[in-house]
Amino acid sequence: MNLPKPNSSYEPALVTRAGEVIPNAWQLLVDEDTTGAEGPYVLGFERALRDLDGLNGHYGVRVNPGDDVRLLEPFLDRITLIEVAFPGYRDGRGYSTARILREDLGYIGAIRAVGDVLRDQLFIMMRCGFDEFLVKDKDPAGAIAAASQRFSTTYQGAADSARPVWALRHGIGA
Amino acid sequence: MKLLTANRLHDGLTVWYSGAGWVEDGAQAAALADDVAETLLAEWKLRETEVVAPYLIPLTDRGAPVQREHVREFVRANGPTIGQTADALSKAFNRADIFEN
Amino acid sequence: MYVYDTFDHAFTRDRIREFSDQVARRLSGELTEDQFKPLRLMNGLYLQLHAYMLRIAVPYGVLSSRQMRKLAHIARTYDRDFGHFTTRQNLQFNWIRLADAPKILEELAEVEMHSLQTSGNCIRNTTTDQFAGAARDEHADPRPWAELIRQWSSNHPEFSFLPRKFKIAITGADRDRAAIRVHDIGLHIKPQGFDVYVGGGMGRTPSLGHCIRTGLPGEHLLSYLEAALRVYNRYGRRDNSFKARIKILVAALGPEEYKRQVEEEWARMDRARVDAPQAEIDRLKTFFPDPTFNTAAFDEAAFERARTADAAFARWIRNNTHPHKRDDHVSVTISLKPTGLPPGDASSAQMDLMADVADDYAYGELRVTHEQNIVLPHVAKNDLYALYTRLDAVNLSTANAGKITDMITCPGLDYCSLANARSIPLSQEISQRFEDANLTDRIGDLQIKISGCINACGHHHVGHIGILGVDKQGIEFYQILLGGRADEKAALGQITGKGLPAEAVPAAIERVVQLYLKLRTHDNERFIDTLERVGRDAFAEALHEPA
Repeated sequence: MNLPKPNSSYEPALVTRAGEVIPNAWQLLVDEDTTGAEGPYVLGFERALRDLDGLNGHYGVRVNPGDDVRLLEPFLDRITLIEVAFPGYRDGRGYSTARILREDLGYIGAIRAVGDVLRDQLFIMMRCGFDEFLVKDKDPAGAIAAASQRFSTTYQGAADSARPVWALRHGIGA
Repeated sequence: MKLLTANRLHDGLTVWYSGAGWVEDGAQAAALADDVAETLLAEWKLRETEVVAPYLIPLTDRGAPVQREHVREFVRANGPTIGQTADALSKAFNRADIFEN
Repeated sequence: MYVYDTFDHAFTRDRIREFSDQVARRLSGELTEDQFKPLRLMNGLYLQLHAYMLRIAVPYGVLSSRQMRKLAHIARTYDRDFGHFTTRQNLQFNWIRLADAPKILEELAEVEMHSLQTSGNCIRNTTTDQFAGAARDEHADPRPWAELIRQWSSNHPEFSFLPRKFKIAITGADRDRAAIRVHDIGLHIKPQGFDVYVGGGMGRTPSLGHCIRTGLPGEHLLSYLEAALRVYNRYGRRDNSFKARIKILVAALGPEEYKRQVEEEWARMDRARVDAPQAEIDRLKTFFPDPTFNTAAFDEAAFERARTADAAFARWIRNNTHPHKRDDHVSVTISLKPTGLPPGDASSAQMDLMADVADDYAYGELRVTHEQNIVLPHVAKNDLYALYTRLDAVNLSTANAGKITDMITCPGLDYCSLANARSIPLSQEISQRFEDANLTDRIGDLQIKISGCINACGHHHVGHIGILGVDKQGIEFYQILLGGRADEKAALGQITGKGLPAEAVPAAIERVVQLYLKLRTHDNERFIDTLERVGRDAFAEALHEPA
């Protein structure tokens, strides 16, 4: 029997929105782990809210669907990576999370999509402000290239630099 | 005993497992022993590039499907029951009720 | 109507290329069915009981004759020669091959159509008044706003994976023909701005929308919608798909708290990033001018001669025309509810004929109604008899618009994999029982709406008489609801007593109708008026106990 091999069966690889496959230097801490010299660390959301006030240096934070990302606002100067989790790719809460970070809170660090991240979500993730993707695909760089070129027209303003059609039609923001 | 049915991936049509392969005519569906049916179902669930959503229809002793699913399975096997929508398939096979064999 | 510019064409092309790639990856096995399903749904492709069904978007129900001909062509070439018009003012084909879907989308793109977001957990086709731009009681044309929403919602990056589907309806007339109170968001254009209703819907938890804002300026419509959707996307339930619609969130928070969260989100939002500028709104408005009306004087004498000579024509005029803003024109409803055929279905030949008469008598414009009929919005009264004669030749002159036999009926178990019971055969039996034209006319306006399951695609909650198909140990039963309405006095029908077997339903409805005819105070007291005056109980009794 010649069973198909889905793209999602490949090991996730970390790729930037420029299409560069990069190693993951970050380590996700479970809640009771102590921070050591190995860093840098990604803190769970609850722990970040609890501990970041007393910590120096730069941390990552994992945001799950249902976490109110606005609670991170006081700590954003200590955060250089936010991992937005997609436990299932049909759960779209992470898109709002990213846009709030970029457009509302003015966060300029990295936003990374982790979890069930597949080729067909990359375009809208880029539009919402994600810039790193832990994607399951046999060709991660190719997936990024395809997503970047997928649509020449965007109808709405979002977190990326693409101008909505109405801006192009009326010469706004040129 | 059970029948194995699914929809074919490329055109979506309702198909039936005949013992040798998939056919469009429900009357050619093989009545499978329960354990054989379960094994075949597990196998075909993995063969997603051929069929979608395979499932088993239990047959009662009389060879009729369980009551709970009767209308649904009848319509699915024979096409819409009414009007210009009457499925060409059921006309082609000229069978009022494929389960009453 | 709206005409694509180079951006719209480019977007549609890109979208087809994307979906073609997804179909190819599904066929090769790179995508699993589980992964492919939401992608195909967002392109309107369902797997139904017999085959794939493709639902094509008719944005806010507006069709040109050229587009209607293309739909006829698709029916002939890729399907079994007919299509089904839906309550979302769309059209669906029932036997589409997966491999043909990209080709069909290319054919549609030639006439500026698509199937984008006709399914899936995203923002669906915005629906509106079928008489938009023509009705006498309209104060603002909803079509430019519906087009604004269409563009904003197309491939929206944040709202493509909502908790559940999301439906918006909009009206600009006094009479609500768009059922805005039973939509996720309903918009009513008033002189001082938009009234925004949220949290209406049908399905297993029917509810009427709550007004959370009045006087919303049009230039901020999109940012307000974006705020409303963001609150829903973040906090709508995702643990149970039956409780995932916005109405459940609004009920759980309370409309006041939901409104507070929306307003807070809206206040924080960079609106300039979201709201299209006034220049764009003005541009969209230019696409919906009046046609160049035929101003030849109305030949009333000739019209009256035809009406006197042909009783069937007279009846059709009485039932199937709607007042137009010009005295010498009317809007015409082409009923897709002839006795003996599935409601909402049209053959390719009928579609072609409707396109032809639209060109000859209606300035090339058609509308799909949420009642599953076709409307010619602008017809000169001088042309009515010629139009009628041509419709009559292809069984499209049924004179029952708004009458008891003009039922909304979902496809039911004859097509739908979700249904519990068949809807179409029951609607046939009811329409046969009330086939007598005199009886139908005597009964007057009465809306029966039939759904084959709790999902309520047949709008049974807002039928004057609603019928819901249920499955009782393998046998189809039908629960009857009374007193629903979808108009500006929207109300939800209530279930009366036990379910009836299919064969008992037509007689039960006849008893209710006979009671109404007995109880009404005068010929113009409509069924729903009598029901509301007398109360449901007497009617419920008549339903369940033979007189």
